[in-house]
Amino acid sequence: MTKAAEWQLALPLALCFVSLFLAPLLLLIGVSFFDDDKITQPGFGQWVKFFGDPFSYKVIADTLLLGVKTVCATVLLGYPLALVYLDAPPRLQKILIFVIVMPLLLSVVVRTFAWIVMLGRDGVVNQLLLSLGIISEPLRLLQTELGLVISLTQIEMPLMLLPLISVMSRLDPNLRDASAALGASRWRTLFTVIVPLSMPGLVAGCLLVFASSTTAFISQTVIGGVRLIYLPLLIWQQSLVVFNWPFAAVASIALLVSVLTVVSALSWLGRRSSGHLQG
Amino acid sequence: MFSRRSLLAGATALGGTSLLPAIAHAKGSVASAIYPGTWEDAYRAIVAPALKKKDAVDLELQPLFAVDQIAKARAARGTPPFDAFVLDPGPRITGIEGGLFDKFDGKKITNASKLPAGTIDDWGIAVSAQVVGIAYNPKKVPAPKGWKDLFTDPWVSKLGLTGFQTTFGTVSLIEIAKIFGGSETNIEPALVELKKVLSKVAAVGQPAAMPSLFQQGQCDVMYTNTQTVATLKGRGVDIEFVKPETGAITFFTTLHIAKGSAEVENAYKYFDVALSKDVQEALTKPPYNLVPVNKDVPLPADLPMKSLDEMATYVQHDWAKINPLRASWIEKFNKEMAK
Repeated sequence: MTKAAEWQLALPLALCFVSLFLAPLLLLIGVSFFDDDKITQPGFGQWVKFFGDPFSYKVIADTLLLGVKTVCATVLLGYPLALVYLDAPPRLQKILIFVIVMPLLLSVVVRTFAWIVMLGRDGVVNQLLLSLGIISEPLRLLQTELGLVISLTQIEMPLMLLPLISVMSRLDPNLRDASAALGASRWRTLFTVIVPLSMPGLVAGCLLVFASSTTAFISQTVIGGVRLIYLPLLIWQQSLVVFNWPFAAVASIALLVSVLTVVSALSWLGRRSSGHLQG
Repeated sequence: MFSRRSLLAGATALGGTSLLPAIAHAKGSVASAIYPGTWEDAYRAIVAPALKKKDAVDLELQPLFAVDQIAKARAARGTPPFDAFVLDPGPRITGIEGGLFDKFDGKKITNASKLPAGTIDDWGIAVSAQVVGIAYNPKKVPAPKGWKDLFTDPWVSKLGLTGFQTTFGTVSLIEIAKIFGGSETNIEPALVELKKVLSKVAAVGQPAAMPSLFQQGQCDVMYTNTQTVATLKGRGVDIEFVKPETGAITFFTTLHIAKGSAEVENAYKYFDVALSKDVQEALTKPPYNLVPVNKDVPLPADLPMKSLDEMATYVQHDWAKINPLRASWIEKFNKEMAK
């Protein structure tokens, strides 16, 4: 196929992107430069209001921090699971992949409400801990950041594991044997051979989990409650309750830019690590 | 020359279009927004078949919360995505101010005379009432007497709160503010008192999550409407409704015709059926538990009033005053309550 034909094949998707993604994005940016909620008076008022309020910076920082915490938790729990998958016999691998993908088959709303049942005062976790005598009073897990990170870790786990497993499955098993034959301990093999080689998958997983958890409006508001304020809740309130679309547009751009900055940094790290391995 | 394929395609298209007017004539329709959940279930099960039977009009329901209806209609700019709105007082005022409704002619509603006074105006008509007060779990806490009790033990540590996003949340917080010296336009005292007890409060949640939080025992006291209490009770949850000593709050849910709608006459027919005695009575029954506005309909036994006329003595609010302040209240609530 010629280069021109290839370019033409990509045209329908490119047109979709321009009309369904780029045009609304430009509209969003345009709307943010209006002072009033009726979108009649152009100006920078909403930008000044958003960035002149220290509360906005707190909300941005909390949103990004939530993403970082969820990424750390999914890496800590997901990486060992990926190692188990790597060493498992093919039948067990099939079962494991089903268990890993299962959360994706359920609606995010159902998964989120299921966590209310798990983390509530009379929920499964508290009842188990009370019956084992570990605690005497129910723990407060719902409407705390800890509870939110726990539930997001489960909800986002497939996004970490799938790229990780796909990269790790392609690693040459002889490398581990070679490392052992040269006298390296299992830990040394893990940290000097497996982890660096799996870095592209790990970075891709981190990227997906970060972008998804920082924008997980339903989980953030239902499990976190309204005292934990993240950018998606702020955008929802301004666009659908207060109808101040210009302010909501500014908050949306803040979310987009802050998440994109972290995602770009991660993706740069991923490219650097894979370039380092190949070079 | 026509190919055989293009000739066939043309003939099929022609045949198809010749059928279209017949279909349109046989099936008049009206598209209405409706609250998701109980309202949608109730209107699908009761109102839609009744409208079809009486007027041969199909009712298409689009599940949308009140604020989402306003947002969609505003975004559509003159080409409404549905013919009728169902709204609470706050979004109703936003709709009127935004010019989203067609002028309403109450004379076209045959059941209009069955409604309490003041429930029809130039913009729409009431279809259901809501009564807001305090709900509590009788197995966990004693019955609170009024709003002030919510700030003391044993209720405060079991209290579930919501902010100003919803109508019932806003009016409850206004009533709390009044107890502590505030008013319909001054909610500051409520926020001051809330802040004092915030560390003890069991949950500050999204309105849609509150019934689940109550069901799971995360909170045992909350402000809500009688319909939510009846629905949870129907699911076997231990819950009772208390009319606060300063009075229960009431407001109407109203129907409106979207400006630019092509199905205005069908919308009137739909409203009339929704307000008829049989339909309103069926809507009051479990699992729907809607409060009727047709005075011929007997009120459900668990409602804290004997007749609709009593509603005039209940606490009501002026949303034309509340709406302009609501954005700043939401902002303040965010900042004061944020962890």
